Amino acid sequence: MFDLSPAEYSAMMLSLKISLWSVGIILIPGIFMGWLLARHDFYGKSLLDGVLHLPLVLPPVVTGYLLLLLLGRQGFLGKWLYQQFDITLAFSWKGAVLATALMSFPLMVRSIRLSISMIDIKLEQASRSLGASALNCFFTVTLPLAIPGIITGSILAFARSLGEFGATITFVGNIEDETRTLPLAIYTYIQVPDGDAFAQRLLVISIVIALSALLFSGLIEKRAATWLGKK
Amino acid sequence: MLSLDVQLQRGNFNLEASFALDKPVTGLFGSSGSGKSTLLNMVAGLARPDNGWLKLGNKHLFDSKRNINLSPNKRDVGVVFQDSQLFPHLSVTKNLHYGYNRTPKKQRRFEVIEIIDLLEIGHLLKKSPIQLSGGEKQRVGLGRALLASPKFLLLDEPLASLDQGLKGQILPFLKRVKDELELPMVYISHSIEEILHLTDHLVVINKGRILGAGHFYDVIKAEAVKGVANSMGLENILSVNVIGHDIESGHTIVESQGNILLLPLTDKFVKGDVCYISIRSNEISIAKHHISHISIQNQVKGTIISCTKNISYVALQVDIGTPIIIDITPKAFHELELNKNDEIYCLIKAQSFSFLGKLE
Repeated sequence: MFDLSPAEYSAMMLSLKISLWSVGIILIPGIFMGWLLARHDFYGKSLLDGVLHLPLVLPPVVTGYLLLLLLGRQGFLGKWLYQQFDITLAFSWKGAVLATALMSFPLMVRSIRLSISMIDIKLEQASRSLGASALNCFFTVTLPLAIPGIITGSILAFARSLGEFGATITFVGNIEDETRTLPLAIYTYIQVPDGDAFAQRLLVISIVIALSALLFSGLIEKRAATWLGKK
Repeated sequence: MLSLDVQLQRGNFNLEASFALDKPVTGLFGSSGSGKSTLLNMVAGLARPDNGWLKLGNKHLFDSKRNINLSPNKRDVGVVFQDSQLFPHLSVTKNLHYGYNRTPKKQRRFEVIEIIDLLEIGHLLKKSPIQLSGGEKQRVGLGRALLASPKFLLLDEPLASLDQGLKGQILPFLKRVKDELELPMVYISHSIEEILHLTDHLVVINKGRILGAGHFYDVIKAEAVKGVANSMGLENILSVNVIGHDIESGHTIVESQGNILLLPLTDKFVKGDVCYISIRSNEISIAKHHISHISIQNQVKGTIISCTKNISYVALQVDIGTPIIIDITPKAFHELELNKNDEIYCLIKAQSFSFLGKLE
């Protein structure tokens, strides 16, 4: 009933690939940053917090353009990456991963930070007084108790990545099979005559993916809650 | 044993404390905000003093001059928290093993089975902390701390979040730990009754200052501690011998300095026990003669040692074999024409006495 055309299939798989990669590369930095902001006070914390949230408040196009200026072939970092390592991010799917990761990072951090700050610090103190080193305490107490927040953060980041449009199209363009994700494909079909039917099919696919992600996260959150002894 | 000399400034709160403990169990007594939890955190390594030093035996836990600050996991100091702080994601067994597994085999002082028996928590092992009652949580918390084989145990108001009935179920276990495990400990509490269940040696802290340290009876009567003791209704504390119980009349009969006193009937103490009782200074009335046909059960003869006049009351110091404080209104003071060296009768209702605890 729902045979996908090669173009549709490519857009869907590209979206999934980019979103999963995006969540994958920000997961550990997100946990670290969330923990840092929840548990530590240091000089410049407000500034770091602000910079971190920039992608959330800036128009995505601005973020995309900044990335292009910085990491484009002529950009200050981009030139160096190309000359030293033969890496080009602009107009490649890897660049799309970077753009979506940057856009969804603040959501991930916010969620993890919140869940860590909700953990009673006395549990960590108990762990330390029972002989756990700071690192051991983090892995055996803080991290397990933050899992619901980490799951929520990952799902939020995944959803944000699926929907990423502005920064992606500005930084890596709209290249079929390379950077044309679902939102970009929908946008493209809307622009062409007779494209409506295709756009609507992609729309359904988008809804199915997003809804599945939500249901899946609900399921593992429930599991985590049982495991944490909250139910 | 623990000795320390530390200073800490946090905003308006200033803490300066120095003492050395030499008894197996010491009570750290103070109201909330007195600094007792801060002090505990410093000993456990969970808060860092600005200046000073902390020593456990010969081991330096902290020394600002020598730049020593052992991390909490290297201090061999166990903590039992007020709300037990069991790890919610681990079963009771795993909670108990948390510290045990992190203690090198040679340093382990207790075996898991031994502690489980001592605290009678065998039936809880498979449960999750969320399924435990307050008292059970506290016993598991105590067991978990013991199994990390600490050389010193800090108990931070372990009974404060339990209701009265449950306290009675935990105290015997704390006593057992004290009697059977030979582990020095500090028991932190704002309840003198709880402390006296375990020890009569205490340190009194108020507003970040140590007001007194030593035997309960001496400390509580010390000039510096008076304010704190009075605010807790501990103006008068008597050590008494329990003579017996008269179930028919509803009294426990005690003797103090040759005076026989009738107290409300209690089953906490038996004949031959020596215990502390307290009576508030404003719950004692005065008569110039013995009065018959009166419901008040205790009429104790005494001599006025001194009278201190205040705006709303006159504080009399009366010798009844031991000095006690009695507050009466200025009007009563004038009507009775009281003077120093007058012989008077102190009228005390049986119900006005409180039992504090047993003397070891």
